[in-house]
Amino acid sequence: MRHADTICGALLAALGCALIVSGAAFPAAAGGLPGAGFFPQSIGTLMALLASALLLRGLRRRSEGSFSIANMREVAVTAALLLAYLLLWGSGWFVVRTAVFLAIMLSLLGQRWIPALGYASALAVLVYLAFDVGLNVTLE
Amino acid sequence: MAEILAGLSAVLAWQVLGFLAIGVCLGAVFGALPGLTATMGVALLTPLTFWVSPEQGLAMLLGIYCGTIPSGGIPAILINVPGTPASIAASWDGYALTRKGQAGLALGINALASTTGQLTSIAFLAFLAFPIASFALRFGPAEYFGLTLLGVSLMAGVSGGHVLKGVLAGTLGLALALVGLDPMTAYPRYTFGMSEFLDGISFVPVMIGLFGLGEVLVQISDRQSAQVSAAAAIGRVLPRIADAKRMARATFSGAAVGTMVGAIPAAGGDIGAVIAWEQARRTSSDGDSFGKGSLSGLAASCSACNAAIGGGMTTMLTLGIPGDAVSAILIGALLIHGIQPGPLLFANNQAFVFSIVFLMIFASLLIMVIGILGAKPLAKVLSIPAPWLWAGIIVFGTVGAYALNNAVTDVWAMYAAGVAGFLFRKTQIPLGPLVLGLILGPLMESNLRRALILSRGDWSAMLTRPILLVFLAATLLSLLWPLVRARRGRAKRSQDTVPDA
Repeated sequence: MRHADTICGALLAALGCALIVSGAAFPAAAGGLPGAGFFPQSIGTLMALLASALLLRGLRRRSEGSFSIANMREVAVTAALLLAYLLLWGSGWFVVRTAVFLAIMLSLLGQRWIPALGYASALAVLVYLAFDVGLNVTLE
Repeated sequence: MAEILAGLSAVLAWQVLGFLAIGVCLGAVFGALPGLTATMGVALLTPLTFWVSPEQGLAMLLGIYCGTIPSGGIPAILINVPGTPASIAASWDGYALTRKGQAGLALGINALASTTGQLTSIAFLAFLAFPIASFALRFGPAEYFGLTLLGVSLMAGVSGGHVLKGVLAGTLGLALALVGLDPMTAYPRYTFGMSEFLDGISFVPVMIGLFGLGEVLVQISDRQSAQVSAAAAIGRVLPRIADAKRMARATFSGAAVGTMVGAIPAAGGDIGAVIAWEQARRTSSDGDSFGKGSLSGLAASCSACNAAIGGGMTTMLTLGIPGDAVSAILIGALLIHGIQPGPLLFANNQAFVFSIVFLMIFASLLIMVIGILGAKPLAKVLSIPAPWLWAGIIVFGTVGAYALNNAVTDVWAMYAAGVAGFLFRKTQIPLGPLVLGLILGPLMESNLRRALILSRGDWSAMLTRPILLVFLAATLLSLLWPLVRARRGRAKRSQDTVPDA
């Protein structure tokens, strides 16, 4: 991506401005002392200024802030699997769910199915024993 | 004396020693695997310590910290891939020794020099921490504000040449720290009506996400593989007495340099090892052999990167300022156990401070034994396929984040932090300042506002405090110095490229 610095700068500048605006809505303190909005507004101002500098630098030197993601497919698939695993959290069958998730992930990352399934199952059982049985963390 | 004995007796309980041994062994494995760092190890295993006493929990985390750094030298020596950033300098002479068929000797020197470095810095902690803490007791809110500001700016200033991004990352960390109740008025800020956010953003899931999941995604993207075969022949491990005598000076000077550098917030073992190696090369009679398999060069770098642990712990415990990401997580773990690092810890709980000292001594001795006896088995760890490690990190990180509060929102926070950590690394935004900002934000805000209340809102009254002025000057210097250095470098390069008339 050639505009990484520009995009980062723009997003953080917007966040800084949002902090300044939202900080103004917080109640002020009596006697001229700083209230709840003082620090958000200070941080917001600093962030907006620094992010503007990054934005300008990104516009001037586009090639310096560029980056690329190799193996984009593997990264995207891993992220999608993580999202699916998280959405299914709390639906029961922790060991089975975790073993299947890990085995699919390992096979998509180039590992052979049977060793991957064996390792994933062992890991899921180990984590279940350590946290659910050993530490009383309810995983089911 | 009674406090020392109380600290020792707390550590000598078999449960505490057991947790320490587990921590050191896990740390040895983490360090031996390229890509797994001390930061990741401590972050992943912090949730496991919530169910045990502070001494037991801290024993495991300190064991991991003290175990990871020495064993980070193992892959640096065997395959020229540093296991942790602190081991970079160890690969310069260590790998050269391996190529000469002296891998075992290099591993032995790594174990002995690492322990020497750690023990030297622990002595520094034991003898100088109390005077430093006693001086820090003079600090008021204004001085603490200055100190926290300096901590964040130092980390931002040494962010690998990306000062602007480093400061921005620190500011983003401070912004994230705003979530929750206002520290002075308890007014809810940026909670979006969710009760989960009233206590602020949970620190541990964010750390696990940034340093665990984020690193896994980066490794998947870059396909950095840990599947490298280590050298088959290890050979003799312990150095001869004559060699040990020749290395003694480099080892102890490396330990002194590493301790001092480690005590400076943001300057960790990686910087200390490089400085110590260079100093040993300049002062050695056979400086030409450095980088080509010098025993003294290896000893200096291994000793220095490990000495930084005690130096960093001194700053962290006495001032409450984390020197690097690992000590930042350790502060988080201590806070969860109800222990606030800082000068008051030395005034109110001296036995606990001595417990930390004894834990570090035992961890250091244990890792030396593991380093000498376990060189061969640890070398075999290098053959574990990287995807298997990634799977383990993801599942332990996920369950660890969930276990903190039995809340799935913490897992969401961890995954969001993981994706953010991945994108930040790709865009070269440093994570260290962000973490420091998140930790130090509430401290910075509450102390600044307390100072202003004490001065009745008069900013100029704050500027009459000499210690605060020193901190503010150091903050400015830490931010401006990298810019000055970069400008000088550019000027020098442009001079060099001007053709002779």
